[in-house]
Amino acid sequence: MNQPLGTRSLDSFRDPLRRASVDVSIDVDEGAAASAHVGEVIESSTAQWVAESVRLNGAPAFGQFVRVETEPLPILGVVHNTRTQSLEANRRPSAYGKSEEELRLEQPQIFELLRTHFDVFVLGYLDGTHPVLAYPPQPARIHSFVHVCSSEQTRAVTASEQLLRSLLEAPGLPTDELLLATLSHALDAREPALRQAYVLRTGKELSRLLRDDYDRLSALVGRLKDRMNLKDSQ
Amino acid sequence: MSVGTDRPSQSGPEPEPESEPESEPESGSGRGTELSSDPLRDPRGRVGVITKGSLVEGLEMKLDAQRNVEDMKAGKFVVIEGDKNDFFSMVTDMRLDATNGEILLHPPDRSDELLRQILAGTGTYNIVSLRPMLMMPKSGVAGFDDGPRPVKAIPSHFSVVQDAEEEDVSRIFGSEGEGDGRYFSIGSPLDMETPVCIDMVRFAERSNGIFGKTGTGKSFLTRLALCGLIHYDRAVNLIFDMHNEYGWKAMKETSGSNSSFVKGLKQLFGERVAIFSLDPKSTRTRGIQPDHEVYISYDQIAVEDIAPLQDELKLNPTAVESAYLVYAIYKDSWLRTLLSLEGPDVEEFANEIGAHPGSLVALHRKLKRLENFPFMVKKGQAEAGDCVDRIMEHLDAGVNVVLEFGQQTSMLCYLLVANIIARRIHEMYVKKSEKFYATQKPEDQPRQLMITIEEAHKFLNPSAAKQTIFGTIAREMRKYYVSLLVVDQRPSGIDDEVLSQLGTRITALLNDEKDIAAVLTGVSGTDGLRSVLASLDSKQQALVLGHAVPMPVVVRTREYGEEFYRFLGAGDEDPQVRSARVQKERVALFGE
Repeated sequence: MNQPLGTRSLDSFRDPLRRASVDVSIDVDEGAAASAHVGEVIESSTAQWVAESVRLNGAPAFGQFVRVETEPLPILGVVHNTRTQSLEANRRPSAYGKSEEELRLEQPQIFELLRTHFDVFVLGYLDGTHPVLAYPPQPARIHSFVHVCSSEQTRAVTASEQLLRSLLEAPGLPTDELLLATLSHALDAREPALRQAYVLRTGKELSRLLRDDYDRLSALVGRLKDRMNLKDSQ
Repeated sequence: MSVGTDRPSQSGPEPEPESEPESEPESGSGRGTELSSDPLRDPRGRVGVITKGSLVEGLEMKLDAQRNVEDMKAGKFVVIEGDKNDFFSMVTDMRLDATNGEILLHPPDRSDELLRQILAGTGTYNIVSLRPMLMMPKSGVAGFDDGPRPVKAIPSHFSVVQDAEEEDVSRIFGSEGEGDGRYFSIGSPLDMETPVCIDMVRFAERSNGIFGKTGTGKSFLTRLALCGLIHYDRAVNLIFDMHNEYGWKAMKETSGSNSSFVKGLKQLFGERVAIFSLDPKSTRTRGIQPDHEVYISYDQIAVEDIAPLQDELKLNPTAVESAYLVYAIYKDSWLRTLLSLEGPDVEEFANEIGAHPGSLVALHRKLKRLENFPFMVKKGQAEAGDCVDRIMEHLDAGVNVVLEFGQQTSMLCYLLVANIIARRIHEMYVKKSEKFYATQKPEDQPRQLMITIEEAHKFLNPSAAKQTIFGTIAREMRKYYVSLLVVDQRPSGIDDEVLSQLGTRITALLNDEKDIAAVLTGVSGTDGLRSVLASLDSKQQALVLGHAVPMPVVVRTREYGEEFYRFLGAGDEDPQVRSARVQKERVALFGE
């Protein structure tokens, strides 16, 4: 959590389209993913929490909306960083020069010593079924289970104008990357016919928020358009 | 303007085609109002919100992003919904603007439609200038029943601006036939079908002007106004028809070669219009039988009629003084006496009466031109009495008079004849009015007379306006029941004093700055109207402002064609009906 984020390669997570190769279970069986938890909170504060993934390399994708079932209210967040490291802080994994399959056959124990953690930025909480984009009254409790948000919840969160503002103003996050990834998830959660209108509305909102930074706006819009075209062509 | 100020508008009417069957729970961030952009829910059609402005300079509206700026034409009619009043306003100007100069330096690529759409209404926006013309208290507010009134307040920030509806237009301009036939439709607002009506009673009681560049439809506008006056019988008209356009059919200017003809007043109103002709031969050549021929005897010309011709005849000031000397001795026959002299005798004559010989010789030489006019006759030759008396009789009987000039289209002839006739008619009207003031009997009240003059700047230019009778009529106005309908293409040539007294102005396209300024003389708050005037279409569009309309309005003028003829009760007859009528009349004339 305290590591500078820039130093870590996020390539494998940057594009959610590629996350299928990382972990298939979330997309393939959304129903199961929604009911089964994907992680457990191990470090918690009002603005962020850290969760340990249930499976090694099985954290939710970058920019995915997650929810933690906790008291008094379920908390919503977005995954902004994932890392896999040794269970013991003073023992680093070392290179073996073998493929993962070979290693699993020869030295299965080393995988037991590794853990995947993901960092979540708190967006708000759920009041009944309403997402409220404000800090929750209490942080998530340690050992609470983390679930991936359903399509319906994703639509509800991403329909709010406050979302973009929260992401843009969040300190210390890879804002533009995160923004694109979350919008990509937002598009996934919508019917193809409604995507164009959603992008247009979001773009207008961004244009207002980034009124002093036209370069950034045009770059973001350009990338957003590429993603949408990619989805449309699929 | 900062985006900050726009925000309240934005949260509302974003184009929200995203009709996701949003079972999506309300996010609680005020998106509930978003649906107001739905045209079905908002029947008036919202165009934007007021962002700034002042009473003096007019208001500025930010155009809603989903509205195309190209639909906001100058002269369009919109309604600003204030808290207590509706403000009826006219679009006077538009501007493209951006929040950030960067956008303008690096505009989105032509192919980047998405970015352009995103920027529309956020980074780039359109400002439309509005000029509030009238305010109308909303129902439930004190004064609602009083109707529209002049603007003395402005609406608050972010007041919603709507397209004007048909109802609004008829609420302001009245409906044709309403109010005892005082409203006459002259056209409809831009992009609307509701008729805009002129209050004919108010129109008749003051002098009016119809202006426009040549070829912009002045004659059609004039014909329309005259039809209104005659149809509703609000004034009897005397028309000096220099180009023979009003009495019988006139050619309709159409692009291309297939010109068509439109009906004249005589065809539309029959017995209620009489055609007098100065050049009966020409009138007959055009296939029309004039009702009367006009001859003017030398004795009818007074020195006052010569004075305004100074420019045309190139008279010097002493010539007029010499004329007065002749008049002092010979009275009415002064001109006949003078013109009967031959060359050398004039000097002798000058010495006799004590005039300056050189000056009188010049006057004599120049007035000789009058002898060339075929309608000038020696005393006694004029058949059946005085033609001015004849015209007066017609006017008294409520018959409108069109005076055709035939081929006598020289400005000299037009000025001379119009002056002579108008001066005498004005004299008679003064007498009649005075009689009415004395007796105060309703039957003595003179009929309202409107005199139509074309090329009005010739009569009403600053030097002539003080000498011609038309200057007097324009200034004295309604006191003597005579008013003018001034038709001109060069209003800047007309004396300011006269212009400022014009009640209603109907103006087609004008380009010259001086002309535009002249038309707007004596009208307050004209900044916005200038741009409107200069951007009118060159055909069938006119700005109407002044006494007879509650607020200035741009109209697409009424079609002067079959439908209009039928409205006046003079449409083409069904051929069967006509042949039956002809048969009946033949029987009446010649027997079975």
